[in-house]
This record gives sequence, structure tokens and C-alpha cells, in this order.
Amino acid sequence: MTVPTDPPRGVSRRSFLKGSAIAGIATTGLTAAAAAPREAQSFGPGEHEISLSVNGTARKLTVETRTTLLDALRNRLDLTGAKQICDRGSCGGCTVLLDGQPVNSCLLLALDAVGHAVTTVESLGTGDTPHPLVQSFVACDALQCGYCTPGMVMSSLACLQQRGQPTREQMRRDLSGNLCRCGTYGRIFAAIERTAQGGGK
Amino acid sequence: MSAHEPRDEVQITVGYRGLGGQPDRLEPRTVKTADGDAPPWDANTELTAVGSDHSRVDGLAKATGRAKYTSDVTFPGLLQASILRSPVARGKLTGLELDAAAKLPGIAAVIPLKQVGHRVRFVGDAIAAVAGTDLHRVRDALEAIRAEYESEPHTVDYLQAAEAPLLGEHGEITDAWPESAAMAQAIAAAAITHEATYRTEVQTHSSLETHGATARWTGNDLEVFCSTQATFGVRGELAQALQARGLDVGSVTVHAEFVGGGFGSKFGAGVEGLACCLLAHAAKAPVKLMLDRFEEHTAAGNRPAALMQLRAGIDGDGRLCAFDVRSFGGCGFNVEKGDGGGGVAVPDYYTGKAKTRRQHLDIATDTDPARAMRAPGHPQGWFGAELFLDELAAKAGVDPLEFRLRNDGQAMRQDQWRFGAERFGWQQARARPNEPGARYRRGVGLASARWSQLGSPGRQQRHGIQCRIHQDGTVEVRSGAQDIGTGLKTVMTLIAADELGIEPALVKATTGHTSDPSGPGSGGSTTTPSLAPAVRHAAFLARQQLAGLVATRLGVEPGEIVHDGGKVGTAKQSMPWRDACKLIGPNPIDVRGERFPNYKQKPFSSTVCGCQFAEVEVDTWTGLVRVTRMFGVQDCGLVIARKLAESQVLGAMLQGISYALHEQRILDRQSGRMLNGDFLRYKILGAEDVPELDCHLMTVHNGHSSTPAAGLGEPPAVAAPAAVANAVFHALGVPVRHLPITPDKVLAALAGRKG
Repeated sequence: MTVPTDPPRGVSRRSFLKGSAIAGIATTGLTAAAAAPREAQSFGPGEHEISLSVNGTARKLTVETRTTLLDALRNRLDLTGAKQICDRGSCGGCTVLLDGQPVNSCLLLALDAVGHAVTTVESLGTGDTPHPLVQSFVACDALQCGYCTPGMVMSSLACLQQRGQPTREQMRRDLSGNLCRCGTYGRIFAAIERTAQGGGK
Repeated sequence: MSAHEPRDEVQITVGYRGLGGQPDRLEPRTVKTADGDAPPWDANTELTAVGSDHSRVDGLAKATGRAKYTSDVTFPGLLQASILRSPVARGKLTGLELDAAAKLPGIAAVIPLKQVGHRVRFVGDAIAAVAGTDLHRVRDALEAIRAEYESEPHTVDYLQAAEAPLLGEHGEITDAWPESAAMAQAIAAAAITHEATYRTEVQTHSSLETHGATARWTGNDLEVFCSTQATFGVRGELAQALQARGLDVGSVTVHAEFVGGGFGSKFGAGVEGLACCLLAHAAKAPVKLMLDRFEEHTAAGNRPAALMQLRAGIDGDGRLCAFDVRSFGGCGFNVEKGDGGGGVAVPDYYTGKAKTRRQHLDIATDTDPARAMRAPGHPQGWFGAELFLDELAAKAGVDPLEFRLRNDGQAMRQDQWRFGAERFGWQQARARPNEPGARYRRGVGLASARWSQLGSPGRQQRHGIQCRIHQDGTVEVRSGAQDIGTGLKTVMTLIAADELGIEPALVKATTGHTSDPSGPGSGGSTTTPSLAPAVRHAAFLARQQLAGLVATRLGVEPGEIVHDGGKVGTAKQSMPWRDACKLIGPNPIDVRGERFPNYKQKPFSSTVCGCQFAEVEVDTWTGLVRVTRMFGVQDCGLVIARKLAESQVLGAMLQGISYALHEQRILDRQSGRMLNGDFLRYKILGAEDVPELDCHLMTVHNGHSSTPAAGLGEPPAVAAPAAVANAVFHALGVPVRHLPITPDKVLAALAGRKG
């Protein structure tokens, strides 16, 4: 079985708060208010204007240093698909893709997402035809209350994008960070399989 | 009510089609329907949308993140809020200083939820609440509140309470059974007897959307978005509570269009809902207050712990002749007269003519009160009883399936046992030996399920459904009740579509706004059986109005008009649905259907039946149990949205595995605080734990209403933990009598095994 390596995550909330030098931040997205030097920089408390690339669009917003990506998406950009369920990376309800890799957006600072492509579940529902994966979720009834579903969809999307034709074992592994209380897992596996086989297109 | 006096008698066919190769169990029945109600659908009715694999109608909104749950609702100027909670398990609030918090930047309102002198009942009891511009500032303000407590000695473990029975070294109850000459006689007369003690731990509901609300006042009118499974209950509760606090309340409207799980914990607005409304009133701004995960685990209810002792005997034919059960519920602080919601239910269909006795006592602890949780009392009681019966059967040398067939008094489940065993491959799996000394041991187990819910008309005023047919051909069906993931919107859509003879795509179902007709709280598996006949009636009335318009246009009698296959008219001349709807004009056909009482005639079955089979693999080195395969058979009356109904059964089976193997609230006895109040340490079943899973849903025409659905949410949750525990017993050769079946208990059981 292929074991995926951890995606590049920039800095953690902890190392950032310690004020250590930051590689992934001081690059493209910061606007004049906070950008200035390209070298290592630290941000104090208070608000910073940043630009995030969300679903292919540059979005300007004001965040505090302590604002998580999840908080920024939900409360600044009104993208409420990603859910705050456990707020500590143990349930996957807040999963979004960062440069194509699934991340818990509750464990990532909004500032750390600057310069990276953020993809949220909302991107799969725009346009005339929803993404085949969400169509498969509906066709396979891979949801009940639906609260874990956006996170499940994004982890499933990453699983499909990285593995093409994932086996059940690979699906179990890739979804092991996402919790569902209604018990929809088996149907989610079916939805991934259906999508991999070209269903819903 | 003279308009609804019984009218003509109708002959219908009730019962069910044979499972597998079994014969049909159908029989004629004559029922009297209420005047004005839709005629009954029975076993011979041909339905198109109902019973089909139609997809969940709000599935796309949920899967694309568009669905707005209470936690997602926002308004300009929305404030966030949180609650200060007691760190003491028992005592008194002796001081509360809120001013410093109120003066902090960004804080809009601070309110007390208890007054100085009030009792504090558990760690997590609500003391005060704060609203501010964001949660960071709110948390800072909570820390600035000075609350002082006078603490008293507390007990958070019910087994340490004075009323708790004494336990022996293996956890067995050692207190003598209360005397009963008749029971003693029945036990003495038995050929084989058995006695054992069983235990379960506190399980939290763990709904993924936490409890909470978003409240907005406009003048004295209040609008509340609430994560609830009882919109109308919340409306009444809040109106009353706010008025009791002296607020001038004009109206209260509750919204719960999407709800992220409830499982029995979300029947009320709770202190958090009330606090949200009070803060919004005080701050003169909309406020959102959602619990965090720790609060959800510790202050939003739970399935209480259970301790139960059983003793029984069977006669020479292997039939139960004595069945004695005493149980204790480990509950929260609110136990009154021995009842704190910790009651334990046991199967009543195995005992036939046996001498039976039931005794139960709830024991209070200084903890968060129990709340209803998916089949309250049943998973714990069925676990104890079904494992006990397997032990008894083993003593008698009888196969567990054979034992059930001999003792199960419910005819429908007799069919289910046989069908399920065949599909699961019971005989073969049961006979498969484990290699002596093998690391991995397999076992299979089974258990039964029951529930009884055929729906109700509502209390003072009957529940209703609004149905509108618009001139563009679209149809609206609306209920103020909530769809908590069970599929009410889909159920409403499919029933209306079949009654009107149109595609489900033309129907738009809306739920969860108290401005629409009332429905029940989603508890006891009542929502669908209560509302399905009301949907039917509403569509039936709307159809009659449309038939009137079409009849006038065609120059025929309204009684001749038939709705079928998207056409309206007679056999000779008909109009496409959309053309017929053009006759309506700008004001839609707008009718309210109602939920008539169930027919007076006896239903085919008033209980919902089911059984489940599980296979486990136990790692005897580590003690880890893995469920490898599971199969369930379940009746739910008329199956309306098949795919969704199956999802509920499969989900209940997974929740049952989770309860059997993983879930346990752990409290620190010293502080009374929960030690595993998050999803890292309170484990619920995840993707890696999912077995090969399948179910068979059977439609049973009970003939109790026009649209005879029965409750489904709870029954499949009853059997699963017991089936898993029985499979573990089979695998190990010794029972693990204490849930969850964690590795330590498996290893202890193996160590204690003789030979």
C-alpha cells in the first residue's frame, strides 16, 4: 500500500506563535499593510489585511494573527461548508485542500494559507453541473444529517485525486481522520468507487 | 369534529411479502377511515416514487456545503457568545462579579445564569454568559468573571453511591435478590438455570453539530435558529422562559432547516438557547451561541450507565420458565423518586408463560443529567439480556439461533431469524472452529430488536402539512417539524409525488420553520409515521381542488378525474400536469392536510421487528476486537424512501458497534470533570472500523393509517451492541459482560478462561 507523505503545511500554529522565522508566509499574498520585507518577519497581535486564494479567486480579508483558516473561511468569507466540530484536528469536519492536499483548517492559521491555493467544498457545487463526486455522494446516499459531509467530500476528493482508483483499504486510511456520527462511512466508500468508475459525470 | 366521523368501511390487505423464499403473510382487514381522509394505501397499492431508490432531496445542498445549519447562520453585526461553567461538581454559588468582564473591549452583554446562593449541580453547570464581537474576546471576558463557590463532597460514580448494590470481585451483584416465593419456585423448577451481572458505561450523544442557537430580536418579536430535534418544543420553552424573566415577547419563530444530528439530546433550547436569546435582547444585536466540543460532551446529556443482574431458568424443552431482572441506572443529579432517565428495557417476547419480574432503580450522581438517546434504555438492556440468553443457551448446549426460534413469541421475527440466518450464513459461520492457540479468533453472534411506533395525530391540535400547487406546475409541501438527517423532506416529496401522480422533481419539501404546520419532536422514531399520513392528506386535498378545475374545463364530473403519470383527466381526455396547473391562476391551490388518528382496528403488527447478525475477529494478543461483517433485517412499516431508510439502519448498526467496543465517558472522581471530553480520547467509530455491512428492509403493511409508515430511527440501534457482544462470547468462549469491550476486558476474560 502506498503511504502518502505529509503535505507541506507551512508553519504550525505553535511555531508561528513563538515568533520563529517563517518561510511560507511572507510571499505573494500579503498586501502592503502587512507585507513589506520578504525576509523572515513576525506579526504581533492585532489585525492584518491579507489576500487568500480561495477556489481560484483572490479574496482580501482582515484577520488577526490568531485567526484560523477555518475561522477566516466561515466568519470572514461566509464559506460555511467546512464545519467547526472538534476544533482540534480530531474529526476532519473542517477539511479543505491546500495546494491539493487535505488539511484540517482548524489547525492552520489563516496567515499560513497565504500564497497557497485553498479549495473548499463550495467549489464543487458551482456552475451548472455539480462535481461528479458530490453527485455520487447524493446517488449513494453517503450522508444523513450532513454535518460531516463537506469534510468527507474533501477528504474523498483528495483520495481520488491522489490515488485514481483507490482500494477500500486506501479509502479507510484516507478517511480515517474524518468522523461521522450517523454512520455513513460504507456509503462514502461506495460514492468514491462510483466516482472512480466514472459515475456522476 | 362531526365532519370527521367514521365513514365507509374499506377492505384492505395487510401484512408482508415473504422474505426470501418464505410464503407471503398477507391477510384482509376491514378498516373505517375518517371522513375526508385519503383512502388507505395497502399491500396491493402500486406506488411509483414511494418505496423507490430516489435520492435524498437535500443531498446536494448538504454535499456541496450550501446547506445552512444553525452554526452557519450569520447576520450583519452578529455577536458570538459562550458560557461560564462551574468547575465544582456540587455546592453553592457564593459570589458572582460580572462588571469587569462587561467593561472589556468588544463585549456587548454579560448575563448571570445563576444567582448567588443557587445550587451548583455538576462540573459544567451554567453560571453566566457573555456576548461579544468574536469568541476570542468572549473567552477573555469569561476569564474576567469572578465566580466563587462553596463546594461540598460529591459523587460522580453511581456505584459508590449509598443506594448502589454491593459488587463482588468479578463485578457481580452480591446483594441477595429481593424475596419472591413465586420466582424462587419457578427457578427451582427449571432444568437449567443461570445468573450473571452486566454493565454498560455512559455514552455521549456526540452529535457533530453541537447544541446552540442564533437569536435575533426585531422589536419584541424573536427569531431563533436552533439546532434542535423539536422546533415546536423549543418555541414553547423559550416563549415561556423569556416571559418568566419578565421580557415582553410578541412572537417566537424557530428555524431548524438543517440539523447536524441530535440522537435524542436536542429536544429543548436548553440553558444555551435561553442564554442566547437573553444576550441578544441585552445586547440589542443578533447573537450566536454554539457549545464547544467539551461542553457538548459534558453538559448536553448522555445515555446513562446501567448495571443489571439477570437470573433465569429453562425447562426440559429449552423454553424460559423464569426470568428475573433487576437493574440500576447511573444517572445525573436530577433523579426524582428513583427516576433519572436511566431505565433499562429488556425483551418481552422471549418469556412467554415464564414467571417474570422487573425491578429498577436510578441512582443520582453529581453529573450532567441523562437525556433520551436513540432507543433509551434498550441497547444497554438488550446487551445484557441477549448475552445472558446466549450464556444460558450455551449451558443447555443449544445453538443461539435455535434458542431464539424456540422462545421468540413474535411471528414476524421468526421469519426474520430464518431469513437473516440464511443470508448471513449463520450455520456455517457458527460451526467454523478456531484453531487451538490461534492468535486471531472469530465468532458470530445475533440479537433481536423491537420498537413500537405507528405515529400519532398530535396532542390538542392535530399535526398538519401545508400543500400548495402553483400555476407553473410546481408543488410545495411544508412541515414545521425538523429533518435531523432521517429524511423527512424526501419522505414528504415522494408521498406527495405519488398522490399527485407526478415526478418527485416537481415537489419541493420544506421543513423546520415553526411558521408552518406543527409536527412532533423527532423522538421515539415518530416523525415519519406521524407525518406521512398528513402529507398524504394534504396532497389528496390539493389534488381534489385541481381535479375540480380540470373537470370544469373538460366538462366532466370531478369524481371522474384521475391523476396518474403526469396527466390529469379521464380515460378519454386528459391534460398534461403543467397544463392542468395553468388553470390555477396566480393564487396557488393552498391546503392544509391533517394527521387523523390511527384506525381503531387492530394493526397487523403494532411493534417493529428486527434482528441482526455480527461476526468479529478478536486478536488474543492485544485484546482488540474488530467487527468484520454484519447483517440486519428490519421492519419499518411502509418503506417510503428506501435508500434513506437503509442508510439509517446501517448507521444504527455502526453506532451500535461504536457503543459496544469504544464509547465511555470517563470522569475524574476527585474533580468530577470529564477526562476524555473530546474526539481524541472519547473514541467513536471511524472509517477504519467499518465492517462489511448490509441490511434488508421489509415493508410491513400494518393497516393503521392511510400511509402506514412505522418508526425506524431507533429499532436498529437496539440489536447491534448485543449482537457484537454475543459474537465476542462465541469467539472467546467466555463472555465479556461489561461494555465497552475494550482490550483490557478481553485480555482479562481470556486470562480468566478455564483451560
